Amino acid sequence: MAELIVNDLRLKLGDNEILKGVSLKVPAGQVVALLGPSGSGKTTLLRAIAGLEVPHAGSIGIGERAFFDAGRRIDLPAEQRGLGLVFQSYALWPHRTVFDNVAYGLKLRGTSAAEIKTRVDNTLSQIGLGHLGERYPHQLSGGQQQRVAIARALVYQPPLILLDEPLSNLDAKLREEARAWLRTLIVTLGLSAIHVTHDQVEAMAIADRIVLLDAGVIAQEGPPTALYNEPATLFAAEFMGSNNRLEGVLTEVSDGRATMDVLGERLTGLARTSAAAGGRAVGIIRLERVRCASEPGPNRLKMQLKAPMYLGERWELVFSRGDVTVRAYANAPLEPGEHYVEFPPEALWVF
Amino acid sequence: MGTSIYRLIVLGVTALAVLAPLSLVVYQSFLTAPFFDPSAKFGLLAYSFVFDDPDFAQAFWTTLIVAAGMAAIAVPLGALLAFLMVRTDVPGRTWLEPLILVPIFVSAVVIAFGYVVAIGPVGIFSTLAKDMLGFVPWNLYSIPALIVIAGLTHVPHVYLYSAAALRGLGTDLEEAARVSGANPFRVAVNVSLPMIMPAILFAGVLVFFLGFELFGLPLVLGDPQDVLVLSTYLYKLTNKLGIPSYQLMAVVVVVIIAVTAPLVFMQRLLLRQAQRYVSVRGKGLKTQPLRLHGWRWLAFGAIVLWLFVTVAVPLIGITMRSFVVTWGEGVKLMDVLTLDHYRELSDYPNVIRGILNTLGIGVIGGAAAVACYTLIALAVHRWPSGWTRVVDYLVMVPRAMPGLVAGLALLWVFLFVPFLSPLKSTMVSIWLAYTIVWLAYGMRLVSGTLLQVGPELEEAARTAGATDLRAKRDVTVPLIRYGILASWLLIFLIFVREYSTGIYLLGPGTEVIGSLLVSLWGTGAVDLVSALSVVNVLMIGAGLAVAVRLGVRLHG
Repeated sequence: MAELIVNDLRLKLGDNEILKGVSLKVPAGQVVALLGPSGSGKTTLLRAIAGLEVPHAGSIGIGERAFFDAGRRIDLPAEQRGLGLVFQSYALWPHRTVFDNVAYGLKLRGTSAAEIKTRVDNTLSQIGLGHLGERYPHQLSGGQQQRVAIARALVYQPPLILLDEPLSNLDAKLREEARAWLRTLIVTLGLSAIHVTHDQVEAMAIADRIVLLDAGVIAQEGPPTALYNEPATLFAAEFMGSNNRLEGVLTEVSDGRATMDVLGERLTGLARTSAAAGGRAVGIIRLERVRCASEPGPNRLKMQLKAPMYLGERWELVFSRGDVTVRAYANAPLEPGEHYVEFPPEALWVF
Repeated sequence: MGTSIYRLIVLGVTALAVLAPLSLVVYQSFLTAPFFDPSAKFGLLAYSFVFDDPDFAQAFWTTLIVAAGMAAIAVPLGALLAFLMVRTDVPGRTWLEPLILVPIFVSAVVIAFGYVVAIGPVGIFSTLAKDMLGFVPWNLYSIPALIVIAGLTHVPHVYLYSAAALRGLGTDLEEAARVSGANPFRVAVNVSLPMIMPAILFAGVLVFFLGFELFGLPLVLGDPQDVLVLSTYLYKLTNKLGIPSYQLMAVVVVVIIAVTAPLVFMQRLLLRQAQRYVSVRGKGLKTQPLRLHGWRWLAFGAIVLWLFVTVAVPLIGITMRSFVVTWGEGVKLMDVLTLDHYRELSDYPNVIRGILNTLGIGVIGGAAAVACYTLIALAVHRWPSGWTRVVDYLVMVPRAMPGLVAGLALLWVFLFVPFLSPLKSTMVSIWLAYTIVWLAYGMRLVSGTLLQVGPELEEAARTAGATDLRAKRDVTVPLIRYGILASWLLIFLIFVREYSTGIYLLGPGTEVIGSLLVSLWGTGAVDLVSALSVVNVLMIGAGLAVAVRLGVRLHG
């Protein structure tokens, strides 16, 4: 297939502008995760691509084929776009068997009965449900329903498959298994997919590229490692991972480094700000990058250990001083009392 | 494209069916003679004649008093009944519930006849009372009696809406009042019922509105004392001048609609408000019935007493009357028992036709009507367009036309439009009138069912490659099958019960039990009327039994 191109898409629901100019490309064979907090417009964007919401500006198309173009007054109905969509609620038709649910798309395309049989059976066995074709959706478990929903979207070999939080209705354990299964399936079949999720771990695990949405605009996009390790904005930095937030005053900015004043002490990190010295600054550091030391040193703060918490594979330590709280991970518990908490300069982003 | 054409057709047909009768009535009201009379000219003559008629003024005030009076009785009783049934541990709630709704489904003329033969001057219960007390302690033929009976028979309407609202309320507020020392009655009056005020207010306006639609009760109970309400005034107008005075009738109809239309609009606003109120509170709270202790049997007794007066008395009356040759003072039951009235039914070909037609209009006509309602509901279902509002208002229009009025308006349409005239004396005319009169009710039933189909089920079909119409056919319609069947059953009950809509359309070939009863009562054929009433009640009873058996909710 060719590339999906979304250009400067704007969409209103009532008076509320949900998408404020989103541009996006999904090359063939790539899995893109649309990530963002609730209300960021990720599901709306997916539904607009599917043809279920009507934008008021911008364009959507695959290769030369325009799905939507506000300027040229093109709005292809959902059924003519030929995409596959997996709903958050699965939306399996309760009055049809699993086989008939999956077969429907082929039936609409005028496929012969024999061919439908082969292809549905193939698809069902691909997803490991070959034996459940005669069941009705309500006779399946949540995980099985989710697979049927995916099979239904795959069976007519759409150029692009759209997944709307497909794992969010599964319980935590099942979700991790389904995540691995889904990633394997997508890679094996060489699918192009857009995967909407609010779970950053899921997005990083499944996608080749993440598009982070914030209030209807793209905050940042790139491979998972880039988003996690090189956040461009404060929003991106705070949304990914588990973070500590330090507030202070900027004292010096030079050579891509920024120094800020926190609790009267100086902390240096990577500059992510255009403000000059004297402005307000926010330092963000991932929990796993914070280190604990026993003596003073550069980029260290003297803090009080409040509560060590045992998490199983490691300990979480909560330090505080004044109104500043810092959380960190450790392999072993520390004695309560005073410690020096180190913020390695290459891991601290100053916004 | 297919969808737009479909929507356009549905919108056009609905608008035509709803607006044509209404426009014809308004047009006729401004003519000086019936529209078919070549001498008819535009003018306000008809208006001045009607407004100068003292009988009309009298009828208008009587209607107002009756409507207000019945609301004053039905609203408190209905609200209290809802509280007892929904919130407390009154005994026998499960089997009381369908019985409470019986007055909604039994034809008002049947109830009225029942009261006449039960507690009329020589009624079955009246003679019993006279034997015991030496006098009859009530006078059926009076405005107060009319108000009380109309009020009691409309308690279920208030009950339905209050009960629905109460089910959405959490119980903790009531329990708090109980713990603070309020007895169950005080809990109801001080806490529960104020919380559902919007729903009760809506029900009050509804009952007041139904007061303007009353026809069977005032026709039967008001006639001996010459008490007229607007609808019976309209009915009597037919014979008043000896010639067809369509222009005068049209004026009365315009007056009735001028009162009912704002009431319908008000109901719509209030209902929306009431539902908003409920949905805010309706958090799926687990409800623990309020324990009444000593009050349990008192409450139970009160409900049974109401059921006895409202349901049992008229139905027992009409049933007994249908099995006796005659009734009066000093008559012994054993001497007069007979089955002749039922045998005699078959001597009247129009009665036989009426029974068959009633079954036909209920079963086949009901199915066709539900099919129409479904087509309209599907057309506006998830249509992101301002036109859905237009359809909303179109559907409301017939609601403002009482059955008698709608039947009359449709008769005129059949007379006015040359190519429709042949249909006038067929059941098609009756079916069309019934379908239009119950449009709003039927649409509510069907749309309620449609709303239960999640939008993503249709969207899934769209993305799989189905057009809008195809998705409706393959997904939506199969999913609402059971809801549609339930609607059919309810429409069957309504169509079998209906009496006023068919009155002006009554003729050879268009007899239905309801309109036959009214016309036979006018001739004084009490024996025939009683037997036919029982047949009607049995048909409705059978339908109700099926509905209860299938677990169909008896309200939309």
